[in-house]
Amino acid sequence: MYNMVEINFIINGSKMTKRIKPSTLLVDFIRDDLKLKGTKVGCMEGECGACTIIIDGTAINSCMYLAININGKNVTTIEGLGTVEKPLDLVQEKMIAHGAIQCGFCTSGVVMTTKAFSEKCKNEDKIPTRDEVKKSLEGHLCRCTGYIKIIDAAEAVYKKQ
Amino acid sequence: MVKELKIIGKSTPKLDAKERVTGKSVYGHDIELPGMLHGMILRTKYPCAKIISIDVSEAKALDGVMCVITAADVDVNQIGYKRDHPIFKSKTVNCNRDEIAAVAATTKEIAKKALSLIKVEYEVKKGIYNPFDALKEDAPKLNEFSHDKFGNKNIGESFHYEHGNIEDQKKLSKVIITKRYETSRVTHCCMATSNITASYSKLDGQLTIWASTQVPFLYQRDVAHALKMEPSKIRIIQPIIGGGFGSKLDMLPFEPICALLSIKTGKPVQLLYSREEEFIASPTRQPMIIDLTTGANENGKFTFREVKITMDNGAYTSWGATTPFVMMQTYSSLYQVPACSFDAKAIYTNNPFAGSFRGYGNPQATYSIETNIDLLAKELGIGKDEIRLINANYKGEITGQGLNFKTCGAIPALKKVIEESKYSQRIKSQISNSKSQESGRYKKGIGLASMLHVGGGAKIYRSDGCGTRLKIDHYGYLTIITGSNEIGQGSETVLAMIAVEELGIPIEKIKVINTDTDVKPWDVGVHASRTSFVAGNSLLGAIKLIKEKLNKQAAKLLCIENSDFIYQNGSMFHDDKEIKIDKVVREMHFGLPNELCVVEYFYEPPSSFQDKEFKGDVSGNYAFASQAIEVEVDTLTGKVKVLNVFVSQDVGRVLNPLALQGQIEGGVATGIGFALTEEMIYKNGMLLNPNFHGYKLLTSMDMPDVNFYPVETYDDAGPYGSKGVGEAPLIPTAAAIANAVADAIGIEFYSLPLSPEKILKALKEKTINKVLSI
Amino acid sequence: MLDFDVISPKTSHELFEVISNSQDKNYRFGAGYTDLINDLNNNLQQNLTVINLAKLNDNNFKAININENGVQIGALVTATQLLENNIIQNNYPVLWEATNSVASGQIRASATIGGNVCQASPSGDMSCALVALKAVCEIIDSKGNIREENISDFFRGVKKTSLKKNEILRSIFVPINISKNIKSGYIKVGTRNSMEIAIASIAYHFQKDEQNNVIDAGYAIGAVAPTIVFTKDACDFILGKNINSLNETDVKQFANLIKKYAKPISDIRASAWYREEVLINLSETILK
Ligand SMILES: Cc1cc2nc3c(=O)[nH]c(=O)nc-3n(C[C@H](O)[C@H](O)[C@H](O)COP(=O)(O)OP(=O)(O)OC[C@H]3O[C@@H](n4cnc5c(N)ncnc54)[C@H](O)[C@@H]3O)c2cc1C
Ligand code: FES
Ligand code: FES
Repeated sequence: MYNMVEINFIINGSKMTKRIKPSTLLVDFIRDDLKLKGTKVGCMEGECGACTIIIDGTAINSCMYLAININGKNVTTIEGLGTVEKPLDLVQEKMIAHGAIQCGFCTSGVVMTTKAFSEKCKNEDKIPTRDEVKKSLEGHLCRCTGYIKIIDAAEAVYKKQ
Repeated sequence: MVKELKIIGKSTPKLDAKERVTGKSVYGHDIELPGMLHGMILRTKYPCAKIISIDVSEAKALDGVMCVITAADVDVNQIGYKRDHPIFKSKTVNCNRDEIAAVAATTKEIAKKALSLIKVEYEVKKGIYNPFDALKEDAPKLNEFSHDKFGNKNIGESFHYEHGNIEDQKKLSKVIITKRYETSRVTHCCMATSNITASYSKLDGQLTIWASTQVPFLYQRDVAHALKMEPSKIRIIQPIIGGGFGSKLDMLPFEPICALLSIKTGKPVQLLYSREEEFIASPTRQPMIIDLTTGANENGKFTFREVKITMDNGAYTSWGATTPFVMMQTYSSLYQVPACSFDAKAIYTNNPFAGSFRGYGNPQATYSIETNIDLLAKELGIGKDEIRLINANYKGEITGQGLNFKTCGAIPALKKVIEESKYSQRIKSQISNSKSQESGRYKKGIGLASMLHVGGGAKIYRSDGCGTRLKIDHYGYLTIITGSNEIGQGSETVLAMIAVEELGIPIEKIKVINTDTDVKPWDVGVHASRTSFVAGNSLLGAIKLIKEKLNKQAAKLLCIENSDFIYQNGSMFHDDKEIKIDKVVREMHFGLPNELCVVEYFYEPPSSFQDKEFKGDVSGNYAFASQAIEVEVDTLTGKVKVLNVFVSQDVGRVLNPLALQGQIEGGVATGIGFALTEEMIYKNGMLLNPNFHGYKLLTSMDMPDVNFYPVETYDDAGPYGSKGVGEAPLIPTAAAIANAVADAIGIEFYSLPLSPEKILKALKEKTINKVLSI
Repeated sequence: MLDFDVISPKTSHELFEVISNSQDKNYRFGAGYTDLINDLNNNLQQNLTVINLAKLNDNNFKAININENGVQIGALVTATQLLENNIIQNNYPVLWEATNSVASGQIRASATIGGNVCQASPSGDMSCALVALKAVCEIIDSKGNIREENISDFFRGVKKTSLKKNEILRSIFVPINISKNIKSGYIKVGTRNSMEIAIASIAYHFQKDEQNNVIDAGYAIGAVAPTIVFTKDACDFILGKNINSLNETDVKQFANLIKKYAKPISDIRASAWYREEVLINLSETILK
């Protein structure tokens, strides 16, 4: 056994300190230690995007990331979107309205990617083209929807904001 | 005139969408029970071998390991509908997914470590990986439990069907075309891998299983059979399911194995597949070799179809072996066919066994028929659209197999896609024959295909019915307890919409309970695109009963004759009188006659069983669809790009446009994958690409636009005239793409997928031949 | 399950110390981890230490620096950072396009250019572009000694580089364009339009004078040999020729010279035949 490592980070708005095994993958840390089960595992090899979360504004695959590397960072999972007053983020509202959810297993990841991309577009004050929207979603596999409704929902987010 | 409805026909988001989109839904993977152990399965190293010895002593000795089991430790029955599948293998292993031992440990790490400590000694044998080799005289018997019923030791299942007189029809044929088609092995790729949590209580002998099955009641029976238990001691709870598509029809060995681990340890045990395991050990669509001969007369009317299908059954028999039930409908009845002869055999091999997959054999059958039709049209010099219109199914037709098309949208659907895709203007082979001369890197083409599928359930089990219980509480909330299941397809929402429509109760006040076999009434399960149809009709029946109750009570309270009420916004109206439903219910409970506002109803579709010759009207109604697909072939790489998809489908009536469109787009995406990119690559029984990196699902960058045009035929049998829709959209897709590619480059392909390499090779051969012939 | 120790140096000084102290240990560097985690999962190792570069705070490793000779790209620069850099996008389209074709947005946010190069995969996209650009690897050892090596020489085989145990890749230098008139791009062949590891790839970067005569040629091919290859003979052949008006024979000649370098293998993704065929077909179109 290797020495446990202490990490300090912000998760969904709250400061936290934890001691973890150095080789812990972020996705396991989130699901098994923090018990945030909204982040899903579809492959554990970076291919499906179900495990996507946001670190300091950037969407990454948490199955390809060491948990110790969130030290000093701001982590947002699907549970961190929305607020008590307004439980649904715009991205989530649009996903519902456009019928982008079937089995829902890919949904958390898709929402996180779209959230990060929409913030980026907002900061750059641009509305992405449909092709750019498709490209932004390339790292998500969805077996149910055929992507069209997801792309529609994402486009609606960018237009609205 | 069709009645204008309040909510039916209007886009309604899924009931559970908010839970899903906030990550709150609890899938099987998310369940954590106190004291829960983690189970894992040791699978064989070789696809075909004798097991000499299994030594689990080191694994057992590992700290944290609570239990290790092999065939020697359990008293169980064999599984599968042929009972030819032992859940643990003890003497031989017969395919690369075979289970040898299982462990339960306090953590996943320990369980994994324990597996690596189990020592198995094998004597490797040369397996048989091709069904034709398995049929040879000198082939060994591959499944020792098979029944030898069909004249060869390695034939696991066999079907024969015929109607009409083939020989006479051959004489009437101007052209006859014979081709061999081959389809590849593909798999469901549910985004959530297979999972189960089992908890056995020694105190009362009760086994609770959280399982992602599509057929909970059949599953309960199957688990009970496997474990030699009483079915009613087993409670099946369905957590949210991350994709089904037919993969969860068979009970697989890992499920009773997990239950056994719980029984042995007395603790809850969870078993989750890794993605690699999912590829290796979840069901597949079985590959088929289809020898098809078809004919047409000089007017382009089809004369006959004669087909022999060889299915790779794999090592054990799953529901996949019964896909001929569906395929024979397609060969006998897709378009008018005066004579048909159909033979299908499932042959044991040392490949993994198949399973059921959205479409249930129909994509394979339709691919062969529809590509063959293009060849007939070409030979006869008739338009490919025209030949289809000449032969299309029609309303009132009773096919050779006895399917009765009381409504039929085949011709409208075909016409719609032909018109919307500008098929006749675009098809090259109809404009000129000189397209092979055409230069340029990218070549465009368009292809057509249609399909026929059951739309109102399918009577293959003793009951195709569904039960519903309704309860209205003191506050006007409705609880629908339905036998049917939700696997992501949106059936809960449709049921709630029906209740809104009929009872005027707002959708926020409706709850659907459908996940627990201890609570819900019987239903066969999700398959055959049946859920909205059967559960919807069942619900309508129950609503009729509850309305009778409410009407009676309301009339009494309002001191009027018992009569009809209009239900709206939680109230009941009669002329100028209004009374709130919740008040009626309270009065029913608290006042005389002190009755519960609860009803139950069982709906059994009017369809009939097929007779011994497989003839009969098996479904409540039938769905028809056509697709026109435009592609572009890159002649430098052989890559096919799907540009545009036009889908028209007879859905009876549109219930929820949003959900319907989603089903169509998702189906088309899977169909495109089947046509172009997806393939499980096996070498001597071992899967070479058990990951998303090697097994290529479409991405958002590969998905074309889908133009969808529903055809409404208002079938009396379905709820509000609707028909099942779930499977249809992927059935004709591969066929239409194959036809489009042939149109683009003037080369026909007889096997799937149409990989870039296959296409480039064919293009190259064509140029070489051209050069040689000059 | 993964089981290893992690050391996270924060400065170069600490890094060198860790490397020195680890010479008798089994260790790997971890940058963006998008290759490393899959590698380790497929090939579990005992007593492994990962030297975590993610916490390193040294601009030699982390920044993109531009000077009169070219662009110095720190090994820890991520694919996303490269894509957001206008200099890269405008001057080295081949590198930009190759980077944009890597995996997905989520992977690109983590994946570093140094990781791509040190992974030494024959199908590495950024690496292929860098070979066409005649990039130079800046390698530093635990004593702080720096050596430079042409990227083509840095690759020694599938997953093999010239790095010695006490060395680390610090940055990659891309020489400045001598002309603004360039023809530069990246072609990646795969079954899908995204999430592909190249079956074959071509990186080209031609610099031209005002008359469109080639004054500098860079042409690299990926996934068709054990390493990414710089097709030197083809580049020499094209020098001085007007790239916009090559005749059929020139194009064929050029393609034939490329073919010489292709030594593809057959695997589950494609046959050797297919790799070579598309390589030649596409090479011809670039010049047409
Ligand atoms: C789903 C998926 C898709 C992918 N698709 C593509 C693709 O399309 N194209 C492509 O090219 N790649 C692809 N990759 C591979 C990978 O993302 C890239 O190669 C990436 O650039 C690697 O960078 P990294 O920082 O993640 O490397 P790491 O995984 O951190 O390291 C990779 C290797 O390099 C070593 N290393 C890293 N940095 C240094 C250094 N500075 N000095 C010495 N050694 C070092 C590590 O020890 C390790 O051996 C894909 C990976 C995944 C998981
Ligand atoms: S689980 Fe991380 S990408 Fe699939
Ligand atoms: S909704 Fe099921 S995988 Fe996307």
